[in-house]
Amino acid sequence: MTATPAPDGAPDAAVVAAAPVDAGGPVVTDAVRAAFDACLADADEDGARALALELLDRGSGAERVLLELVAPAQFSVGERWAANEWSVAQEHAATYVSEQVVAALAARTRARPATGAVGSVVVTCADGEWHALPARILAEVLRLRGFAVRFLGAHVPAAHLVSYLHQHGPDLVALSCMLPVRLPAAHRTVQAARLTGVPVLAGGAGFGPSGVWARTVGADLYATGAAEAADLLSARWPPPLSGHPALAHLADDEYTRLARSRGDLLRQLTEGLEARLPAMRHYDERQREATVEDLGHLLDFLTAAVFVDDARVLTAFLTASAGILAARGVPPAGLDFAVAGLREPLRAFPRCLGILDAAHRHLADAGHTHPAP
Amino acid sequence: MPEGPPVPAAGLSPPPEPAPSGEPGRPSGAAAPDSRRCPDHGTPPPPAGGGAPEPELLDLVDQAVVVCDAARVVVRRNRSAAELFPRLCVGEVLSEPVAGPLARAAASGRERFDADFGGRRLAGHVRRWRGQRVWLVRDDSAVREREDALRAERSRAAFLTDAGKRLGATLHHGRTARTVVRLAVPVLADAATVVLPLHGRRTAWHRYDGAETGGSLGGPALRRAPRLADALSGLDPQPVECTAAELAPLGDAVPGALADGGQGLVVPLPGNGVPAGALLLVRGPGREAFSETDHQLAGRFAARAGIALAAAAFYTAQSHTASVLQAGLEPEPLPRVPRLRLGAAYRPAQVALYIGGDFYHVTPSAAGGVDFFFGDVCGKGVEAAVLTGRVRQSLAALALVETRPVRSLHLLNQSLLDSGNERFTTLVTGSARPAADGGVEVTAAGGGHLPPLVLRADGTVEAVEVGGTLVGILPDPVFDQVRVRLAPGEVLVLYSDGVTEARGGPEGDRMFGQERLTRHLAESCRGLPAGAVAERVELLTTEWLGDRPHDDIAVLALQAPPARGARP
Repeated sequence: MTATPAPDGAPDAAVVAAAPVDAGGPVVTDAVRAAFDACLADADEDGARALALELLDRGSGAERVLLELVAPAQFSVGERWAANEWSVAQEHAATYVSEQVVAALAARTRARPATGAVGSVVVTCADGEWHALPARILAEVLRLRGFAVRFLGAHVPAAHLVSYLHQHGPDLVALSCMLPVRLPAAHRTVQAARLTGVPVLAGGAGFGPSGVWARTVGADLYATGAAEAADLLSARWPPPLSGHPALAHLADDEYTRLARSRGDLLRQLTEGLEARLPAMRHYDERQREATVEDLGHLLDFLTAAVFVDDARVLTAFLTASAGILAARGVPPAGLDFAVAGLREPLRAFPRCLGILDAAHRHLADAGHTHPAP
Repeated sequence: MPEGPPVPAAGLSPPPEPAPSGEPGRPSGAAAPDSRRCPDHGTPPPPAGGGAPEPELLDLVDQAVVVCDAARVVVRRNRSAAELFPRLCVGEVLSEPVAGPLARAAASGRERFDADFGGRRLAGHVRRWRGQRVWLVRDDSAVREREDALRAERSRAAFLTDAGKRLGATLHHGRTARTVVRLAVPVLADAATVVLPLHGRRTAWHRYDGAETGGSLGGPALRRAPRLADALSGLDPQPVECTAAELAPLGDAVPGALADGGQGLVVPLPGNGVPAGALLLVRGPGREAFSETDHQLAGRFAARAGIALAAAAFYTAQSHTASVLQAGLEPEPLPRVPRLRLGAAYRPAQVALYIGGDFYHVTPSAAGGVDFFFGDVCGKGVEAAVLTGRVRQSLAALALVETRPVRSLHLLNQSLLDSGNERFTTLVTGSARPAADGGVEVTAAGGGHLPPLVLRADGTVEAVEVGGTLVGILPDPVFDQVRVRLAPGEVLVLYSDGVTEARGGPEGDRMFGQERLTRHLAESCRGLPAGAVAERVELLTTEWLGDRPHDDIAVLALQAPPARGARP
């Protein structure tokens, strides 16, 4: 990404001034988005903040700026990393800048006089969930819609949430989960909230297509995006407790055993692959560590798939991984090796084997399988 | 019990006609004499000619016996029947007013009935005997009463169990009060209000009558409802009945719709030694009065509700204390100063408490830039946090009189030794002053802390050995100071041992270590704003840890802003 900053270093005002205006204020045009993307690419915190506030000052609603500028820009940040256009550092810097922009928008709109709150909501991320920005945006949208909102941040252990619930007694927990590997943690959070009698609204890509796994872990409500969540809550408030976890399959103990033996499985998997792929034996310490980390992700997604009893958790991960590897010039067929390598250590886990079969077929359909090694 | 009309002499009733064509499945005619025998009971055959048992014999049956002919005319009945159907007369057709469910069953050809009549629960069935219908009717009232009582007791027990469960679910005082009133409706009343103990001159209430409302009451309104005032004061430990009108001075706390003709029950809520409030139960005019059982149930419910409210109040008070102390001990937000970028991350071991043994403090300086300190008290949790408070206050006070970092460390060391406290701290204290060329001049003195790392513009990482001995242990400590020059874009990272000593990784038991931190800074932090660098170090550490417990984690990053237009 290359950006051409205007000579005065502040292209935002001109770009916003040029945007057509509709009932909701200046429209977030492609040019505005491009200017914002450029700020993210340059980690230009001041520029990004100025651009967003300029929209606000010229009459755009804060919700529009959040949902039509910040959220889509953040989505493309992830895509650029996946496509190997951006480094991890750039991705991280861009996310940090977006967070600062949301904070600035919040600070600006919070100054407005508050009317009687519709209800109180605590917005939280599952334990281990670091993608806080979508939850942060939801928190701000709900606040703009008249709810009293507290945002607990990324990576919130269930115990922390529970002590918040006892202290502050909100009417609803909004739980964000962006990666399905966090579903067991999300389930702990849902369970903890519901035990104190507080319903849970689930949201985020981690809950799967149409939020199918939100219902599996027992959430009471699900919304795809921040605006949908706000509409849903405004339509029926307070929401009743209605969720029922559908986790009867956990009785076979496969999930528990898998989660408990993660370290051993990872070692077996790595050693097995080293035996079959001679190239791995010449990896240096860092390459080896990176490989073990990737294999760990594979194992974690398999574990989450076993937790919700749905192979799609793993197949979706493999599709994304294949894309990421391909963008970095690594043949995705290695994934199939790894999937195959798990069969032997997991031979006593019928449900795991079923999911691994589905994963293999999925990779074969996509043409990502090796010719016989 | 009604005496009942005298039983007409059985002899007056017409003798039963033999069944014209015999009963189905029974031999008729010649076989009839056999049927008169009663081999099962060995009773002697009835006297010849009559074909019916002696009337007195029927009186021995402990059920009501009513014998009718095919036209439903009563032919005979025993003494029990006269008790159950006092107006039933021999010779009359069974009628609804006189025989109720028996008449209905007979008219519709049913063989059984089970219904209420005359204040009793009656169960009857019919037998045929010689063309006549013999109704046997049992008074089930006592059994039913026992069954109903058992069912009611069971449902009360289930109610109390459910109440206990739901009241135990939350420790939030407001939610507990709302749960109490929601539970009470409709089992105990049509509307329920919890009035909390006086807090100053006012008291809060929560009401539920299908919808939730809440508000507050002043002392004068309470005085005009003396029953409530007594319950709140703990003077009257028993539920007391009153008319809903007596509660009218309480305004919206009692629904207006029920005040006219409704009845109230004022139930004290016993807490831990002091009353936890009072529960007002109001029933509308259409509902039956509060019974003795209702009083008892209300009392048992109130015991649970009172304990739950008292526990929630206790928790609220404690957590308020904790959060006030915590607010005083947690790191303050970073200042914004020109020509210097700052970033920090803080993750105590006890996340819920949000305080711990790591601390940092950054204040804008009159000389430009900031003065800062960053350290780690031995131990974690509340005890460590209290010492961080002392250290922070001491250093803040010292900063007013002493600007030389090394001298500050000596004074702090002496102060900690004098306090007799066994604990000690590591520390880096210093200043960051923006220079004319866009860089930043950092001066730092160390007290046994991990070496800060400098991420240079070319991507190399240098460790800055600040040295020094731990602060608060030795009477003759050695402290020294170093100077570091940050060019535009370069960043100095201070971190606690919660980062480098984090145990985890793919194999689960490896230390994160300074080497790995150095590598990550070089590889994935170039060009990042200071805030993002701090967050990234926190993220990498926590990911390394996985789900394992950890020590306090703190990171502080100081950065010379990158030159305009520069790209990493």
